[in-house]
Amino acid sequence: MELEKRLELVSRGTVEIIQRSELRELLAGKKPRGYWGFECSGKQASACPD
Amino acid sequence: MHIGTGLVCSQKMGDMVDAGFDFTIFLADWHSMINNKFGGDMEKIRRAGEYFKHCFTALGIPEDKVRYVWASELAGRTEYWERVLRVGRATTAQRVMRALPIMGREMKAQDTEAASLFYPCMQAADIFQMRLDVACAGIDQRKAHVLAREVGEKLRWGKPVCLHTPLLPGLAGFGNASESFDEDPKVSRVIAAKMSKSKPESSILIHDEPGVIGEKLRKAYCPPGVVEGNPVLEYFRILVFAGSHGFVFRRDAKYGGDLEVASYGGLERLYVAGKVHPQDLKANMGRFLSERLAPVREYFGKRREVLEGMRGLEAG
Repeated sequence: MELEKRLELVSRGTVEIIQRSELRELLAGKKPRGYWGFECSGKQASACPD
Repeated sequence: MHIGTGLVCSQKMGDMVDAGFDFTIFLADWHSMINNKFGGDMEKIRRAGEYFKHCFTALGIPEDKVRYVWASELAGRTEYWERVLRVGRATTAQRVMRALPIMGREMKAQDTEAASLFYPCMQAADIFQMRLDVACAGIDQRKAHVLAREVGEKLRWGKPVCLHTPLLPGLAGFGNASESFDEDPKVSRVIAAKMSKSKPESSILIHDEPGVIGEKLRKAYCPPGVVEGNPVLEYFRILVFAGSHGFVFRRDAKYGGDLEVASYGGLERLYVAGKVHPQDLKANMGRFLSERLAPVREYFGKRREVLEGMRGLEAG
């Protein structure tokens, strides 16, 4: 997949990216590493207190 | 699991994997303990983490496409706690307090458990300990992420890129939109939306049956022609129109028949003009969610013990 298409895929539906230019650089380089952290709760299920 | 976590997060994590990321789903058991999940019972917290793995697998993120890491794996190493303390030394208690996830204005130092101050420091340390380039989260985590960028730069550990997704509001609506919970209007709206979600009938779960989804939507706040604070429209914006595809509204011929809408902006104009009615929004959102969540119902239909175990945890 070409760079612009990957950038669009990662960016779509986001509220903000800090910073988009840095994201572009990352995607142009070696395999980037990302994460999402989740608190482990029952029905409530996001990384913040409910 | 709410559809907020289920659909918004899994969609974005899938995008990241497809774009070539080495992606980690971090099960934050220690953080959950700080936040008093299951009364701080680590055994129950870990079982809930296992349930999360099932949920993401059911939502289309296979276990072999991502890594799962538990916070307790990091916490088992002295090096990790050194990082937590170095983060704490690179900032102030006031900055850490402000980075606590959604405290609202009322939260004062004297009401906050001291353990909470570790939370944002651990969030930053996690990112550096796992040598991550990009941290993803809902927009409510922005202050913690900005803190991570600041300390990362100060400590010469690098600055993670931060990617924030919208939060789905509860179906009861945003409440009084003019009420302020935070000096940042973005964060304020998020708090208002989260507060409205505390009513159980106001949020949809990923394993709800189509009838339950329909019933919850039937009660949703959705005034005709009104865009501001309308959660059902917001669900269309975030869940349906986030990609580049349009959406076909199914309608009875006597109400004008099927209607293809190309973009969220188009839907908003039709709704304000009274050409799409609340009933059309609710019925079609119900159909969309029921179809999107069909694989989840099927997955848990074959693993009833997982859901029953989870309900047991919640009850006890």
